[in-house]
Amino acid sequence: MFFPFKTLFQSLIAAALVLVLYTGCETTQDEFVGVDGDFVTGSPLPERREGVSFMGGGVNRNQFAPVYFSYNSFEVPGSEDGKIVTVAEFMKSSPNDIIVAGFTDARGTEEYNRVLGERRALAVRDALIMKGISGSRIQTVSFGEELPAASGSSESAYSQNRRAEIGLIQ
Amino acid sequence: MRFPLLPFAVAALVAVHFLPDPVSAQETPTITIKKGNSVTVALDPLTGGDGPGATKILQNDLEISGWLQVGSPAQAGYTIRGTASGGSVTGWVVDRGGREVLRANYSGGTRSAVHQFADEIVETLTGNRGIATSKIAFISNKTGRKEVYLADYDGANVIQLTRDNAISVSPSLGPDARKLAYTGYQSGYADVYLIDIPSGARNRILKYPGTNTGAAISPNGGRIAVSLSKDGNPELYVTSINGGGAKRLTRTRGVEASPTWSPGSDAIIYTSDNGGTPQLYRISASGGSPTLISTGHSYNTEPSWSPDGRRVAFNVKGGSGFQVAIKDLTGGSTSIASTGGSAENPAFGPSSRHVAYSMGGSIWIVDIFTGKRFQVISGVGNATQPTWSL
Repeated sequence: MFFPFKTLFQSLIAAALVLVLYTGCETTQDEFVGVDGDFVTGSPLPERREGVSFMGGGVNRNQFAPVYFSYNSFEVPGSEDGKIVTVAEFMKSSPNDIIVAGFTDARGTEEYNRVLGERRALAVRDALIMKGISGSRIQTVSFGEELPAASGSSESAYSQNRRAEIGLIQ
Repeated sequence: MRFPLLPFAVAALVAVHFLPDPVSAQETPTITIKKGNSVTVALDPLTGGDGPGATKILQNDLEISGWLQVGSPAQAGYTIRGTASGGSVTGWVVDRGGREVLRANYSGGTRSAVHQFADEIVETLTGNRGIATSKIAFISNKTGRKEVYLADYDGANVIQLTRDNAISVSPSLGPDARKLAYTGYQSGYADVYLIDIPSGARNRILKYPGTNTGAAISPNGGRIAVSLSKDGNPELYVTSINGGGAKRLTRTRGVEASPTWSPGSDAIIYTSDNGGTPQLYRISASGGSPTLISTGHSYNTEPSWSPDGRRVAFNVKGGSGFQVAIKDLTGGSTSIASTGGSAENPAFGPSSRHVAYSMGGSIWIVDIFTGKRFQVISGVGNATQPTWSL
């Protein structure tokens, strides 16, 4: 019975590894009461800078082009990658931090849209982290279906509203 | 497939239904009240200075209650009488033999007094919880910005709770409408605020980095379930009523949103798209593995758990936008409770048979046992996102 023994051995090694990684990661986090073996996602957000509002005067919302998304999706489309590169290059040569704001079209219910918008903002943040930008420089917020870029219920309006805007903190 | 025993089963059920309840007969030896799911009552117009107004309010309460049918004295098992003056009501109910089964004084203003009387009539004659004294909070853009409003369940006494001049959304009323949590954007981020309604005191209780939203106050008033993205993804957390001690319940690649509590405050139903499309899941409030609640629909959001624990109301796609669906958690079937336009954000009321939702800028109540619908809040801007006190 060589095979089962080998897989069992591998499982034990894997389990031990997971345990070590898990305890290593979780020491500074809030107590996690979920189950082991779930998906480990994202990188924790940096502390807020109170007084800096995405909608306020201290944030330049026109520096970068919005990143657009497909319906009910939070994956950054490959076609939008150039915009991420532009932001990453800018941030590498600038001390300014950013707030990424996620938005949705109106074709979902409000609270689901609010978390979907946040997931879009986080997807842009993750993409920037992958391009070498420190996560500590990137805040997020979601407005869900509030503050649409285009009004109306046409597919054209919807596609303009499924977006993440990148605000440069002045 | 035929059911040859069906007539006998129905006959047996009917017989059991009309048997005197031995327990209540022991508790009240002189008066036997036959409790049932639809009791016919007659309403004598209330006397006194405030009689006509009070009678109207009471008639509306009884009609919406669902448990009672107002009929002629000849059909009725009970007759409701009372007198209303000076903001107080004395009400009583007599059975066909003229015996009083209820008599009490109610105060606090005519409306409030009548609502208390209505709930006590429902409780006394049917053993069920009424909705007449409950409150509904909602969001309206009446001022040009989304703010939180509070009203009696029948749409009277509308008051504007917030004047944030930002975006205030996702309200959740706690037990007896003493506390209300909501999501506000005053800081530029989505934070959770908690209002103590009697005193008007408000605190920003959750201001973690990212988006803090969807707060739901537990039925025991002690805890809050909420979606937080502080750890890099919108996940489900439970905190104390003041936002302290956040405990993470989920860990997925997708998003978690819109928690709703079990009646015992020990479990939570929420929406997650971790399986690809938004589906409902149930998880223990102390953590563990979530269980998928199959509904047969691919889009399931904004759940509300009934206070008797038996059903969950939620949004599905359909019609001209969204419909209110009801899943029977004991029997398993899912049905659609709304008709007409797009119906959003269902919220169960304290009776567990009434569900509030928004449609066309108004707040509606549907009686899911009869399908009757009542437009309760209208003309207050675009009214959305109702939450109902339990």
